Amino acid sequence: MASEARGLGVRQFKAILRKDIVMELRTKEMITSMGIYALLTMVIYQVALSQSGTAFDPRNIAAGLLWLAFVFTSMLGLNRSLVHEKDQGCLEALLLSPVDRPVIFFSKAVGNLVFLLIVQVLTIPVFAFLFLQEGSYAGEWWMIPLALLAGSVGISGVGTLLATMSVNTKGKDFVLAVLFVPLMYPLLLAAVSATSAAVLGGDGSVQQFWTGMGMMAGFDAIMLLASFALYEFIVGA
Amino acid sequence: MAASSARSGLTGRSMTEPATIYAAVEVRDLTRTFGARKALDRVSFDLPTGAFLSVFGPNGAGKTTLVKVLTTLTAPSKGTARVSGFDVVADAVELRSRIGLISHNPLLYPDLSAEENLAFFADMYGVADAGTRVRELLVAVELDHRRLDLVRTFSRGMLQRLSIARALLHGPEVLFLDEPYSGLDPHAVEILDSLIEQIRANHTFVMISHDLNKGLALCSHALILAKGKVVLSAPRTEIDENQFAATYRATVGMGVA
Ligand SMILES: Nc1ncnc2c1ncn2[C@@H]1O[C@H](COP(=O)(O)OP(=O)(O)O)[C@@H](O)[C@H]1O
Ligand SMILES: [Mg+2]
Repeated sequence: MASEARGLGVRQFKAILRKDIVMELRTKEMITSMGIYALLTMVIYQVALSQSGTAFDPRNIAAGLLWLAFVFTSMLGLNRSLVHEKDQGCLEALLLSPVDRPVIFFSKAVGNLVFLLIVQVLTIPVFAFLFLQEGSYAGEWWMIPLALLAGSVGISGVGTLLATMSVNTKGKDFVLAVLFVPLMYPLLLAAVSATSAAVLGGDGSVQQFWTGMGMMAGFDAIMLLASFALYEFIVGA
Repeated sequence: MAASSARSGLTGRSMTEPATIYAAVEVRDLTRTFGARKALDRVSFDLPTGAFLSVFGPNGAGKTTLVKVLTTLTAPSKGTARVSGFDVVADAVELRSRIGLISHNPLLYPDLSAEENLAFFADMYGVADAGTRVRELLVAVELDHRRLDLVRTFSRGMLQRLSIARALLHGPEVLFLDEPYSGLDPHAVEILDSLIEQIRANHTFVMISHDLNKGLALCSHALILAKGKVVLSAPRTEIDENQFAATYRATVGMGVA
């Protein structure tokens, strides 16, 4: 029985993830809105830094700028991931089916992670082109994808949780926006610290990177456990 | 198990299943409040297996809330409800695989094709031999020729037929229909009539209806709700149509809960 139930859970997980990816490839709704938003943020950065002069080295704040862009992009995009279910009444169809609620959470969160990573892969080259001079990258290259992944897991998880809350609440976007930043605060600090170490390199950067990674791993683990425990309640509200 | 060979047409279940001993629906003092408003107020009734219940009542009477509680989408505030012998709260997970819902909302993804929609829900319900079952149902609801088209392009009647196929995929025992006829053209009504006729024999039905004649013609039991309370609950055989119509009309003036 238990392994049968797990088999069904895996089948449901794959079905939801596949459906969301197929629909996204068809409509390109989230990727387009998130991608454009991220690129516009780059333009705004350029304006903001246009008077900074030659003595200023954007590398010092590159990690912060990148994560700022990803946080705002996620707030915009992740909210869509459940709104489209709700709009069509399909959330009811999902809830009506014999699926353990955490399966819905994990499939939605993984889908959101995939979309966020795609947006990051599109944004980072633009960012590097605009703000980092050639040869200015001093850290270890493999640190960058690790830091991005650890931070993005946290953003997708919290974003999915809040998106679910907000479909059942009036003033949807407001709830997400207000809770998102305070909840993300520790993760963001760690993500910026680890990414900064990766970009700047130098003495102690490896140490700083792994401290940040450890904090993000802790945040991700707590967030996933909490979601597992709370999702039934949140989605049913 | 030879699950697919035991299936018969639309129902997806063997015709020779043993008779069940429990009532299909058992509702006791069911109350559901939204803030201060009582959408359901101490509702009680029983429905035997194989029955067809038509639920009538004015807008805001609590009909949809009743169906949502019975389909585990909304939790009761007080009282209990059992469907197919399963408690809607304690046994929600087991219950969900035994019921189907057809509402005025099609509960389908507009950006997936008809076939993709059914395949998705077949996965969600763990339907065995899903490909065959999906095709079988597409043929049964006369949408096989449109199976590759996006649901976004479907008419109201086609959506309703596909949502019937969705609700029947996993061979549910009890079917809930929330105003299934609303917004259908005459041809779509005919198709829905004939689909209900075909599956009538081996399902229990709970149907919300605004059409008194239609609802009475189909049902074996009738229930009138108003302001969240049961105004009348009786087997069809004990109902005098004129009197029933008068009672129903009186509730329409009573307004919402
Ligand atoms: N989610 C909800 N939040 C607040 N009030 C609700 C909600 N759902 C239903 N109601 C209220 O409960 C009452 C019954 O609604 P409903 O069951 O939809 O009526 P019906 O389907 O008979 O028209 C109405 O007054 C409605 O406004
Ligand atoms: Mg209703």
